Amino acid sequence: MKFLAIFRFELAYQGRRAWPWFFFAVLLVFSFLMTRDGTLAEALYEDFFLNSPFAVAKTTVFGSLIWLLVAAAIAGDAAARDVATGMHPLTYTLPVSKAEYLGGRFLAALVLNALLLLAVQAGILLAIYAPGVEAEAIGPFRPAAYLTAYAFIALPNAFVATAIQFSLAARSGRAMASYLGSFLLFFMGFFVAAALLFKQGLGTLLDPIGIRFIVEDLSHSWTTSEKSWRLLELKGTVLTNRLLWLGIALGALAVTFLRFRFAHRTESSGWRRGTRRRDEHSPMPADLGVTASAPISVPDVPRTFGFAIHARWTLAIAWASFRTIATSWAGLALLVAIPLLTVLVVLDQMAALGAPLVPTTARVLSELTAPLSAELSRWVIIPPLIVFFAGELVWREREAGLGEITDAMPGSEWAPLLGKFLGLGLVLAVFMTALMAAGMLAQVIRGHQDFELGLYLKVLWGLQLPEYLLFALLALVVHVLVDQKYIGHLVAIMAFVFIALLAAMLGLEHNLLVYGAGPGWSYTEMRGFGPFLGPWLWFKLYWAAWALLLAVVARLLWGRGKERGLGVRLQLARHRFTRPTAWVAGAAAVLILTLGGFIFYNTHVLNPYLSGSDLTERRAEYERRYKRYESIPQPLLTGTNLRVEIHPERRAVEIRGSYRLVNGSALPIDSIHVATAIGGVETRVVTFDRTATLTADDEEHGHRIYALERPLAPGDTLRLDFEVHVERRGFGNRGVDPSVVANGSVFTSGAWFPFVGYQRQRELLSATDRRAHGLEPRPVLASLHDAEGREAAERGGGISFEAVVGTDEDQVAVAPGALRRTWTEGGRRYFHYSTTAPIGREWAFFSARYGVHEGRWKDVEIRIFHHPEHTAHLDRVMRSVRASLDYYTEQFGPYPYRHLSVVEHPGRLGTGLHAEASMISHGEGFPFWTPKDEEGSLDFPFAVMAHEMAHQWTLPYAHVEGAPFLSEGLAWYSAMQVVKASRGDEELRRLLAFMRQPHPYPPIRRGEPLLRALDPYLAYRRGPFAMYALSEYVGSDQVNRALRRLIETHDSAGAPRATTLDLYRELRAVTPDSLKPLLHDLFEVNTFWELETERATAEQTAAGTWQVTLDVRARKVVYDSAGVETEVPMDEPVPIGVFGPAEEGAGELSAPLDVRMHRIRSGEQTITVTVPHKPVLAGIDPYHLLDWEGREDDDNLEAVTAGR
Amino acid sequence: MELHLRGVSKTYPNGVRALKDVTLTIPAGMYGLLGPNGAGKSTLMRILSTLQEPDAGSIRLGDIDALKQKDDVRKTLGYLPQEFGVYPKVSAEELLEHFALLKGIAERRARKDVVEALLRQVNLWEVRKQKLGGYSGGMRQRFGVAVALLGNPKLLIVDEPTAGLDPAERVRFLNLLSELGENSVVLLSTHIVEDVSELCTRMAIIDQGEILLEAEPLCAVAGLSGRIWRRILSKHELPAVEREHSVISTKLLAGRTVVHVFSDAAPGPGFEPATPDLEDVYFSTMAGHIGRRREQPQPEAAP
Repeated sequence: MKFLAIFRFELAYQGRRAWPWFFFAVLLVFSFLMTRDGTLAEALYEDFFLNSPFAVAKTTVFGSLIWLLVAAAIAGDAAARDVATGMHPLTYTLPVSKAEYLGGRFLAALVLNALLLLAVQAGILLAIYAPGVEAEAIGPFRPAAYLTAYAFIALPNAFVATAIQFSLAARSGRAMASYLGSFLLFFMGFFVAAALLFKQGLGTLLDPIGIRFIVEDLSHSWTTSEKSWRLLELKGTVLTNRLLWLGIALGALAVTFLRFRFAHRTESSGWRRGTRRRDEHSPMPADLGVTASAPISVPDVPRTFGFAIHARWTLAIAWASFRTIATSWAGLALLVAIPLLTVLVVLDQMAALGAPLVPTTARVLSELTAPLSAELSRWVIIPPLIVFFAGELVWREREAGLGEITDAMPGSEWAPLLGKFLGLGLVLAVFMTALMAAGMLAQVIRGHQDFELGLYLKVLWGLQLPEYLLFALLALVVHVLVDQKYIGHLVAIMAFVFIALLAAMLGLEHNLLVYGAGPGWSYTEMRGFGPFLGPWLWFKLYWAAWALLLAVVARLLWGRGKERGLGVRLQLARHRFTRPTAWVAGAAAVLILTLGGFIFYNTHVLNPYLSGSDLTERRAEYERRYKRYESIPQPLLTGTNLRVEIHPERRAVEIRGSYRLVNGSALPIDSIHVATAIGGVETRVVTFDRTATLTADDEEHGHRIYALERPLAPGDTLRLDFEVHVERRGFGNRGVDPSVVANGSVFTSGAWFPFVGYQRQRELLSATDRRAHGLEPRPVLASLHDAEGREAAERGGGISFEAVVGTDEDQVAVAPGALRRTWTEGGRRYFHYSTTAPIGREWAFFSARYGVHEGRWKDVEIRIFHHPEHTAHLDRVMRSVRASLDYYTEQFGPYPYRHLSVVEHPGRLGTGLHAEASMISHGEGFPFWTPKDEEGSLDFPFAVMAHEMAHQWTLPYAHVEGAPFLSEGLAWYSAMQVVKASRGDEELRRLLAFMRQPHPYPPIRRGEPLLRALDPYLAYRRGPFAMYALSEYVGSDQVNRALRRLIETHDSAGAPRATTLDLYRELRAVTPDSLKPLLHDLFEVNTFWELETERATAEQTAAGTWQVTLDVRARKVVYDSAGVETEVPMDEPVPIGVFGPAEEGAGELSAPLDVRMHRIRSGEQTITVTVPHKPVLAGIDPYHLLDWEGREDDDNLEAVTAGR
Repeated sequence: MELHLRGVSKTYPNGVRALKDVTLTIPAGMYGLLGPNGAGKSTLMRILSTLQEPDAGSIRLGDIDALKQKDDVRKTLGYLPQEFGVYPKVSAEELLEHFALLKGIAERRARKDVVEALLRQVNLWEVRKQKLGGYSGGMRQRFGVAVALLGNPKLLIVDEPTAGLDPAERVRFLNLLSELGENSVVLLSTHIVEDVSELCTRMAIIDQGEILLEAEPLCAVAGLSGRIWRRILSKHELPAVEREHSVISTKLLAGRTVVHVFSDAAPGPGFEPATPDLEDVYFSTMAGHIGRRREQPQPEAAP
């Protein structure tokens, strides 16, 4: 009864306050916008229903994230209001039990929160069914979609968060402590789960919000049809996660219940009984009347009230503010706990795919920084903390009860405002310093001594700190203006959500419109800060001017005294608008206008301004206008002759070139369609070697039509001469194009060069975009059986390429082809490249102060162009390139070129590489990818290089389903064989063991079979493993012969492009009939073998040999594309292996005694093998040919035990 | 320096008229503002301390327009609010020094001296290193006094300062105030009549936002001479007496009821003339026998 009364009172009390309704409104609007814009936009390549369970779940996750950050006041107020208001002596002495009191309050908070979270579902429903959505985007109404999202995500989140917020607030007696509870959960979800533990799969388990398992896991592993139809299920990791957090929440509640006392709260631990007693017994005067006393002896000291004392006040308040934060729990979390965890995060991140990365300062810094608006970065935890601290500072005096005293002190409002800002700024500066120390500590632990302190200071203090300071000022101003703490938090957090998420959703892209926004900066060792700092600084100055204006507003409306209504404060503001304040405001306004004008001049006049939707519209319009020319005959490019002048300092490039075009069709061609570059690239002259008139010139969409006076007869050749001029002036809204910079220029032909014919790659891809612009649907990849991709390769085996590239005297320019000659002329250095065999249509150009590492393989010149300081990778790359050439030329046919270039270009700290004909390029991460180079450890970069080399033999493949497998899958199979041939079986097994892990490609047990592969998992994992298994069954010679024949068939001029069907035909040809069922299982359907050895025993025979008996179990299942699992009977050869003791340092499978095929049926069976020596290990499919997917415990092999 | 209030009015958004056309002149010295709870004392005090805006009226402190030149008022203001808190984790000395700086005492040495003198004055010197969170209510109040006294204020406003003090502390505090009253305006609001009678040279009685009486305590008491009558009676006689006479106060004395009656002439048998004191002035004013309320058509609630 009392419980109900408490519950009802609390519910009614908070229900009458303003803030729950604000929270409700915010959640409603947020979910609406998220559904309307976010969910639609994020499904870039996908096409699922707006109201699919997946979309609903995703919005629910983000909604509950927002709820977590803004609505902690509900639980906090329920738990701590009595203490905070000083009511507790009255309530604590009521005849109410702890269970009734705490239970009623907690339940009321929980119910309120659960009701609040309904706003998310309401917002989603509203977004879907309110007018403005196309009917095709909406699937059938399914209540289960909303119910599961609410029940599996929102409700558990509400319970967990309310419990933790409530516990902290009850414990501290301060409602604001609940925000710390929110922060803790936020921190777990974003910082701990995201960064530290992701690799161990614990991340998903530890994420209390659902960001990991909805936004990360399901987004990547669900197919499009699943995203449309599949319901969220409470099982597996999701279930464990929910149970784990419910358990933690119950634990927190139990602790709160046990520790809670209806007792007086002492305020300070520094409270000393002794002195208190002395005070109580202070002498009592004999006479209680007022008596004359000694005159007051307070000295009359001089006082000043000028500018200097205001500065002193500001500093004193700043220092006091800093101390308050730095000694609070949240402050310690920021200044100590987060930097300490950061050490672990940095250490964890200094590895890629199993091999360590050298922790250079640039790389460590990339882990320590993020733009404010990076909503999925781990540093997204900082802005909510800033908001929290800002609130604490603004409310510090009033919450201590000192508000009236301090408000009646002399001095302008500038002192507290600036003082608090400086105090918060000091906290952030110390935080940056702590991060610096954390980064260096991580470097020391990894044995890296080269700290580059200057770079640390520049990046953390010079670039990251201002980002935080701008937001800190905004948070302070919001709290000052709103003047209601909970609502202040709400508004400030929503301001952050606006900056990070909503602005983009609402289509506000211009950095002049989103507070604190601006183009990013980047630092690489090759490029340095490049030209990025200028634009960054202009935008930051512009926003600093705004911040100044905001500060003036906050100063004018600074609440002082008892009355804080807006009317009163506006009235006061009039008095406060003194001459100096007016000057400051005026200066800020002038700065905003000048800086904004300058930026506008750069982004709109010097550079064309195009929003995202402008760009999509332009692409759509291109397709609408010129798609009809796609299939008309056009001459093919067969050769180039280029003169490329790179001016790194001027950020300019001039290109003069001529193309040789051949009419390869059977019809005469009377007009030439030339696609010209768009966006800041000037295509100056286009001429032909016969008379042509320009009949259409569409500058905006980059399409020109030239009518030939005399049509081009079939087989005839036409020359096209052109001039392209690129000069980067000023900066755009997105900053500076990094293509041409002082050191480390890189650009490709695709964006700048003119090409003949309709350019299909300019078409919009996303189904949503295409629908929005009224374009025909276009699948990402055409169906395997679609004729479209099967047409003959459009070029007869590629083009011949010739170019002279000029650059600054101290730089080296790289282009496709072999270097013929280099010379210096007029203070510039020239490089003449030409090809010895045809190459593709995409050409990359580089220019930098390169070091060149040269080597040879037979008559092939190998050149590695690298940043002079990046040398750790050179020998490994050379080894791998030579081993690859050895193997591939022998197995797949000759290498067509006389040269190979490996080029480093700036940026991209990742370890990825890109292969084009005779050229492999990589970012600055690759050189620092340094395996331990010790016996028994995997050299993964070597294998990656071999993979890139395999692309030199990649077929011209059709862009249809299965293409990713033909390209990446075959290249990885080839790399495996190179590793085996050059480094031995042991190294291959290490490579395979590594690739069997579920990272970075989590397994997918459904979807398309290999022949129709689309997904990276199929391309990079299942494909190579299927090829490898086949090569072990039928012999790698046979498989390689099939591949060689495939290459020969499709690589010649005019040959049709290859598909997986061609590959499959060749593979069938080399596979004996007995193994054709296996071939079918591997390629035509999704087959999974589950093989297990239960027991392996051995007995020595009289002859001295050993008889090994294995109890094995086998199961084979097939998944269809919808994920339906069917068990199929199994009866096929599977290797059974028995192994002796391995030598010191060698792998456990290095001493095979007997590995042979045995026929294995479904179910349990016993197999007997006789071996000459004592066995140690035995099992089914020991090399994981069929049952290859990595699991926690490898159950294929068992230790052999003594006889039964 | 004198404090002049002209026609100060204040109505709260919820309709409560806290001050109605208050006009007062407050000279240097101790000035008592006496009134029941909710009379508008605190509103008036806060307006004088620059923390609240009146709807109408003007306030001048010497040459300063206190409503416009707030900062000038603040420079010379000492304010002890009715209720205040402290930062629990800071020591008294530290916080007082912080406030001393805020009061414009820039020079470090001077600040130290002032802080020491004040802490000694309010008897907190011994416990100056203690965190304020451990202070008792009285210690906290004395700390507040020290803050109010910083910078030798010319205008000292103390809002019900003696409410939380034990008798000894109260005496010491009032002593302190009377010292200061020698050359500053000290405005003391209280509902304890003794505070005023013991200290103040001038006083005003305020109720429901109106100044009912502005007087010197001694003159006011003298003015009542011969008009206050006293009778000791039993409880059941009280209603009859209240019906027939203008009873201004009743109180218990050793189980019997003592009534004071205002009357220009002897009210009748059983009554004896009483020597008036300030309490009689207060109750007579509240009951409308003297002061502003007498001039109004219908006297409002009697005590």
